[in-house]
Amino acid sequence: MDGEGARPFEPRITAFVCNWCTYTGADLAGTSRLQMAANVRIIRLPCTGRIDPLFIVKAFERGADGVIVSGCHPADCHYNAGNYHARRRFAIFRELADFLGIDPGRMTFSWVSASEGAKWRDVVNETVDRVRRLGPFTAYRELVTDPPVTRVVGKEVPA
Amino acid sequence: MMTNSTLITQEGLSALVEDLRQARIQVIGPARVSDGAVEYRRMTDLSGWTPGVQPRRSLKEWFLPVTEPLFRYRKEGPRVLVEELAPPDAPRVVLGAYPCDAAALPILDAVMGWDYRDEPWFARREATVVISQACPGGDRSCFCTAVGLTPDSAAGSDLLWKPNGSGWQVRVETAKGEAFLQQWSRHFQPANGNHVQPAEPPPPQPLRADPERIRAWIETHFEDPFWQEISLRCHGCGGCAAVCPTCHCFDIVDEPENPVQGARRRNWDTCQTALFTRHASGHNPREDQCGRCRQRVNHKFAIYPARFGRVLCTGCGRCARTCPSGQDITEILSRIDQWAAGPGGAGT
Amino acid sequence: MTELRDLARRLLEEGTVQAVLGWEEGPRGARPVFVRQPAEADRLIFDPRCVHNLAAFLSPRRPHLKTLGRVAVCVKPCDAKAVAGLIRESQRTREEVVLIGLRCGGVLPDPESREALSAETVADRCRGCPDREPRLADHLVGAPAEGFPGPSRRQQKVEELLALSPDDRWRFWQQELSRCVRCHACRQVCPLCFCDQCIADKSRPRWVESSAHGRGNLAWHISRAMHLAGRCVDCGECERVCPGGIPLGLLTRRVARTVGERFGWRPSDDPAVPSPVGTWRPEDPQEFIL
Repeated sequence: MDGEGARPFEPRITAFVCNWCTYTGADLAGTSRLQMAANVRIIRLPCTGRIDPLFIVKAFERGADGVIVSGCHPADCHYNAGNYHARRRFAIFRELADFLGIDPGRMTFSWVSASEGAKWRDVVNETVDRVRRLGPFTAYRELVTDPPVTRVVGKEVPA
Repeated sequence: MMTNSTLITQEGLSALVEDLRQARIQVIGPARVSDGAVEYRRMTDLSGWTPGVQPRRSLKEWFLPVTEPLFRYRKEGPRVLVEELAPPDAPRVVLGAYPCDAAALPILDAVMGWDYRDEPWFARREATVVISQACPGGDRSCFCTAVGLTPDSAAGSDLLWKPNGSGWQVRVETAKGEAFLQQWSRHFQPANGNHVQPAEPPPPQPLRADPERIRAWIETHFEDPFWQEISLRCHGCGGCAAVCPTCHCFDIVDEPENPVQGARRRNWDTCQTALFTRHASGHNPREDQCGRCRQRVNHKFAIYPARFGRVLCTGCGRCARTCPSGQDITEILSRIDQWAAGPGGAGT
Repeated sequence: MTELRDLARRLLEEGTVQAVLGWEEGPRGARPVFVRQPAEADRLIFDPRCVHNLAAFLSPRRPHLKTLGRVAVCVKPCDAKAVAGLIRESQRTREEVVLIGLRCGGVLPDPESREALSAETVADRCRGCPDREPRLADHLVGAPAEGFPGPSRRQQKVEELLALSPDDRWRFWQQELSRCVRCHACRQVCPLCFCDQCIADKSRPRWVESSAHGRGNLAWHISRAMHLAGRCVDCGECERVCPGGIPLGLLTRRVARTVGERFGWRPSDDPAVPSPVGTWRPEDPQEFIL
């Protein structure tokens, strides 16, 4: 429960996926009418090699409870080696994040090819289930607490 | 307005702190943190209280927070709403402030009330009673006596306490201090004369320098190669500004949390970083560390005194203690003073 | 020290270099010094208080040092690794710098310390260090020294933290990072933080909030640890300079352990050894990837 009434907690997942493999694979999952959890917002990038760990940090800052990073299988990268760089980078980031107390269960890393619609469905469903069990990432939201608001000054902005 | 000396015992102080806690008055004092150093921290009782050890950072962050929201904003359809925040006027007591930290407060009041009144600063100032403990005399980086203070200076303090073996001898310095004493008088006792210990003179400090002479030299030696020489070992790390009781520059940022809401914040900043004076055009009048090191000394020992009549420094020595490259302000001031006092005076 | 001073004097007299960057006795212990006249060479010292990583002054972020001309830099084995990093990443060329290598058996934690060097007093980062002299050097001076065995207390602390739950680790780091005032002194003293525009100073878009609250501080320290992955030489300066006493070494050690275990890396003073985060192998482990 997320305390907002009787609605059960539905995790918010941000997915950073590469254009050539996973994005296309996710599209295939859609056109194939595969049933999957609706909690994921996809952000399309040219390649997993472009994904900066700060994207994941920003997603958590902005309210994501979990994150998926997905791209092409090794040897299939459209840009030859982007996913190899990402593989090293995220291996390091994952252990650093865990060391800082960010549960690695909140992050999923996967290789999903353009033809693996079903695998994308499985990655999404598994991630949503896992993050639902971990609960909302309130710790991140609670990092900044401002003093209470005492007065609201309204200002009309012309339409 | 000074009353006869008053005393408070160790037990009296514990009881006072408990009463303050019950009254929801925040107590701030020097305490050890996880790496073993001492910092000014919120305290709920006296366990862990370590007066008599200079905290690694100054009292400044309790009056000018490291980061502070100025207001919040949100958008509702076509409307932009500015949300004013509760002012930081919760009552507080600083217990065991160092005189070099308390003295910084009235020095900064000058700039904080200069061209406009800095409301958050003065809200905190007015809400806080500062109880200082006289310093027995610091280490060789201390030079409060060279900038017009002493280890037992009462500047900025509402009450000045001196340990007397079984507790403290208390001296009222301001009307606010007197009111505090009256409000909590049940924890204090009048001194009967025989409890008053003669003050031991603190050891003399190494630096003897004349701030007026130093200012005159700085004002006439803007291009002196000395600034280049001291800047060579400086990393521009800003550690000196972070620990300084009187450095007060800040940056204002708008921080969106999402497209429709956020906060405007004020954050500590320092002239020691390259970005501090970079213009939007890309031009930077202080483009290397030479200009930035010069600025630090210039602002504190020439510009601020010229404008406000006070040196922007309390001689606490923290900058020298924290500098990773062993830069020592007493060395810098001593050399300037020697040149200024030399045969040609300020023209040397 | 006579050996070092004579060498410095000779290099300056010959005109091989216009300045020698080493350590001198300052008002508060050992500190960096730029010796520009042969007569000043006697200011140079080298003892266990010479903690500072002088490679930081070779960083291209310090343009005013270029006015000095060619510089000879005193380097301990760890410092030489930082110079190698600058050369490896094309920030300096090998020919530009003259390196005076110093044999080293470890340093004290504090340049002001008057304690004798021993297994108890040695800086924690020196425990277990196998490098007694830099191989990246034009000259080598100093008496051969023995090092001190590990394990380092920081590695033990890393183990202790790893044994906690994620929530307990989160609380530990939130408490430690709450003392961060975002002065970026850790970045400024680091020889390998040389970006013209640090990601933390970029405001369009603002990736790392500059405010010193929990959110901004976490973003900053994650960035810093990630950007130093496979590059940090563990000179310890970041932790020494921090005005909040934050155990930054724990973060860099955790990342260094990951990079070491997974990719077989350790910091090297050979610029030809490639950086582990700029390179990859087809068989890199990927057990964490679905």
